Amino acid sequence: MNSLVLLILIIAGGALLSYFGHKINKILGNITVFAVALIIPIYWFTQVDFTETVSFTVSGFHMELGYNMYGRLFSMIVMILSPLALIYAIGYMKDQKKLATFYFSFLFSILGMTGILMSRDFVSLFIFWEIMTWSSYLLVIFLGKDVQKTGIKYMVFSAIGAYAMLMAIVIIYKNTGSMMLSDYFGSFAGFTLQTKLLTGILLLLGFAVKSAVMPFHVWAPGAYSNTPMAYTSVFSGALSKMGIYGLGFVVVNLFAQANLEIVGYVLAWLGAITAVLATFSAVFQHDAKKLLAYSSIAQLGYIVTGIGIGTELSIMAGLYLAVLHAAFKGVLFMVVGAVERQAGTTDMNVVSGLVRKMPFTFFTALIAIIALAGIPPLGGFVGKWMLYESLINNGNFLMVIMIFLSSTAAFLYCFKFLFGLFLGQQELEFDHVKEASPIMIIPMLLLSVFLLVTGAYPGIVFKYIAEGMTNLGFHNVNWQMSVLTNAWGDSVNVQHVYLSVVVVFVAFLIFITWRGYKHATKISTKDISSSGEMIKPEDNMTYAMDFYKPFERVLSPILKYKINKYYEDFGKGLEALFDFMRRIYTGNGQTYAVYVIVFLAILLIFSKSIFGY
Amino acid sequence: MYNDKESQKIVDIIQNYARKHSLFILAYGTGCGAIEIPPTMTSRYDAERFGIRGSATPRQADVLLITGYLATKSLKRVIKVYEQMQDPKYVIGFGSCTINGGMYWDSYNTINVLDKYLPVDVYINGCMPRPEAVIAGFVKLQKLIQQGKADGWDIYKKNIDEYKANQKKIITNWVMPDFNF
Amino acid sequence: MEGIGYKILGAVLTTILAFVVGMFYGGFSRKITARIQNRVGPPVWQNFLDVLKLLFKKTSVRYGFMHHIAPLWMISMSITTLMFVPVLNDGLFFTNLNFSGDIIFLLYIMVMGSLGMALGAGSTGNPNSAIGVSRGLTQMVGFEIPWVMALVALMIQYKTTSVTGLMEVQSQSGTWLMFSSPFAFIAALLAMPGMFRYSPFDIVGAPSELASGPISEFGGKYLSTMMTSGSIFAFVKLTLYVDIFMGGASNLIVLVLKTFTLYMYPVLWGTVSARFRTEQSVRYFWGWPTFFGFIALIYAAF
Repeated sequence: MNSLVLLILIIAGGALLSYFGHKINKILGNITVFAVALIIPIYWFTQVDFTETVSFTVSGFHMELGYNMYGRLFSMIVMILSPLALIYAIGYMKDQKKLATFYFSFLFSILGMTGILMSRDFVSLFIFWEIMTWSSYLLVIFLGKDVQKTGIKYMVFSAIGAYAMLMAIVIIYKNTGSMMLSDYFGSFAGFTLQTKLLTGILLLLGFAVKSAVMPFHVWAPGAYSNTPMAYTSVFSGALSKMGIYGLGFVVVNLFAQANLEIVGYVLAWLGAITAVLATFSAVFQHDAKKLLAYSSIAQLGYIVTGIGIGTELSIMAGLYLAVLHAAFKGVLFMVVGAVERQAGTTDMNVVSGLVRKMPFTFFTALIAIIALAGIPPLGGFVGKWMLYESLINNGNFLMVIMIFLSSTAAFLYCFKFLFGLFLGQQELEFDHVKEASPIMIIPMLLLSVFLLVTGAYPGIVFKYIAEGMTNLGFHNVNWQMSVLTNAWGDSVNVQHVYLSVVVVFVAFLIFITWRGYKHATKISTKDISSSGEMIKPEDNMTYAMDFYKPFERVLSPILKYKINKYYEDFGKGLEALFDFMRRIYTGNGQTYAVYVIVFLAILLIFSKSIFGY
Repeated sequence: MYNDKESQKIVDIIQNYARKHSLFILAYGTGCGAIEIPPTMTSRYDAERFGIRGSATPRQADVLLITGYLATKSLKRVIKVYEQMQDPKYVIGFGSCTINGGMYWDSYNTINVLDKYLPVDVYINGCMPRPEAVIAGFVKLQKLIQQGKADGWDIYKKNIDEYKANQKKIITNWVMPDFNF
Repeated sequence: MEGIGYKILGAVLTTILAFVVGMFYGGFSRKITARIQNRVGPPVWQNFLDVLKLLFKKTSVRYGFMHHIAPLWMISMSITTLMFVPVLNDGLFFTNLNFSGDIIFLLYIMVMGSLGMALGAGSTGNPNSAIGVSRGLTQMVGFEIPWVMALVALMIQYKTTSVTGLMEVQSQSGTWLMFSSPFAFIAALLAMPGMFRYSPFDIVGAPSELASGPISEFGGKYLSTMMTSGSIFAFVKLTLYVDIFMGGASNLIVLVLKTFTLYMYPVLWGTVSARFRTEQSVRYFWGWPTFFGFIALIYAAF
């Protein structure tokens, strides 16, 4: 049997098995989920033949499934992150109800992503895209929090994206007479400028919604923070990358080939603006989930910028950041989930000082935050470096400054995340907190190890990126195991960085620990120098409220006149729009009949001017 | 290295030299003597030329300066601050009030002899001592450190029970954290 | 193996050099401040005595893992930065790992130390430390922007992103970049006091306002490691400025002269100014320095 069909069957079967397993018994269900989570990646890494294709014809549409190297790169993200998140979910979702639905939707969204990445035609792409959207929608509303706002927002934006895509597909079919992606790519150069822009931008719209680029990011904060965290790590880590996947081939394979780099350039600018605004928003969040959600948007902004610029180094940077983002955001959402489960809240104004209770969780969070902040020697730095260098080599100096502003401001929320949850005063009300269960810790640790290793050997990721970039038209991509080089020949040897940091660190660790560490008493955080004030254990000394007030004051002119107003107006406008749209659905059959007739009439009257026949 | 007596001696000399010339003071300035600290530190008398420098927190400080009378209420705070300081640490009793109660000798809410509660290394008498006297006191402390005689912190550790008993006699509501060093 | 032996020896020598020079700079700055205030001031080697004393002090408390490794984190980042900054234009011992890093890398590794200290300060739970950190990070967003603008302008203008590349540009043309790209130099120079945290930008430590800010709960060995790291880092920053804008140095005496001249600028400014509030400080950096940064970028690009 064809290995790709089998892969899809395995995932779908896994979904059904875990659904029924959980219907019967929780333990049986968990065992099934665990088994599925092991089988899928093992099967994918050992048995799937990436040269195979499947093709079949359904009602006249020729459909074809098969991997290319670019899809395989993204599949690796899905295939590594999703099983880990599934295993994490076993621990995280232990006390929840409706687990059958949860795992069913979870596995179906994996199915959707897997399908998207091996679709070679638009029909299957669209079908799998919708499977992914719907299953993720079910998970967004799973906890039943804020369904009205976030669920509908997510759905509406996804629908806008999907219908933009559908429209593009229809126009493409009309122009090429084929649903195959390759036919579209091949004949793109022959289109008129209008068709080029129309199809391309509609496709971009569809993908941009999923990757939360600036005007379409509104759904993301709510959806990311209301989903069960076990799924959010996939949602932000892998699912949003499907948008990046699409953006990549549209921008590079289509527009850049057709001398329309301007589209990519505009996209890059949008990415940079997204990065800056989302970072500023993240800094002022006090809910750790919201903070991470905004940070995801910002990070996706970097990736979009990298893809949009479209040079070899920048695409490499974008893809590398995409892989790394999956890893560290996966960890961070899992960390937040663990904190939520163990401490009961993720509000950073309330919770504090968990480092003494949850050391392993803290350690993974620390590694992930260092990678997120892009600080050497961990892996995140490599992506940031390549992004900057590619921008500088291109002379996009304003974009460099914006990205730099964003990533410097990112230190603020990075610190706030660690400080708010783990550091600071240890309060009595969180005395009962215990370390999360091993089944939640192990996936986080595994991803952290990946982040540590990519710091010294980013080449293990470059290998797959370079292979993937052959499908974007970049052959013989220059990469080395641990030396980064830009277009001007300047380089960074990350292995030397690692070596230097580790040697000095260990030397001083011995120096500072030797004679003294064992004599030192570990004291509570209430025993601080307080100018003689006697702090009782029950006194709350946490400083977390309005943590970045000075920064807020600095930005107050911008915040007051730009962001808030913009967001509010946008929100109000949307709400008014939705309210109006709701009124269309009167519930009266005759009204609907009138709509249909009016629509058909419009089509008949304007068909000539719209479609040309 | 630490078993070797000769090298131990050399280490001691270096150690005491460094300690002597770098005194971070933490002024407990609730008494009226605190007014004499600014002139001591600033342009006119410039204590910094002896390596004396203000420090903000007890973790970094070497010298605890008790400037004047100590109310029983604030004794608790002083003890806490003293215990938060890291060894070796020195206490300077500043003004007559710390020696015998001074003009508050019969007050119901001040302590009379500081040495009962904390091991004082150097007393500076006067009401108030002038900055010259303060600096003379510091020089005396430096001499003691050089000779290795400023070991109040060690005495406090050895006679901890006695000191604690004395302290508890004064402080009725004892809510102090345990001693840590 | 001889190569590696030389490398290690060079690295150790560079570190010691940076430590000694940085410490003396601290001593000189204290002395100069004292003289300006009409005092005698401590001897110039006072900082050595402080570090030595703190080393001999007992470290009897700890607040846990992050508190323990924060000073290590700082010093490993300082020394790593030192390894990647060219100390002299050419020399046997001081090359270290100069050719393995470039400016973007240096920009990033330079903030890592502060982040480590921020985490250590956070883990002590002292509210003063947390306030200091929040101020420090905010201020960092301020001064990094003009500084990065200046560097990006240079990188675009001279088509190289490495420090050694910029030094080569200077040695070939014979003019220092501070004269050939004056606006970038002005922007970088105006941003510089923020990095050194002397008045009016001493809002992080903020003596007599925040106790001593992030380092409130660090004493003994921890504090001495931090002071060591601070002095090394001061040397690194000055050397980087000299390398980029003032043509580097061909021997140690020239290096010391140049860096010391540069160092006097934040110190002297500090002695005569009062402290900014955080938002004032950031607004300052986003005002004229950023304006000059823009001009530098435009100058570089066209």
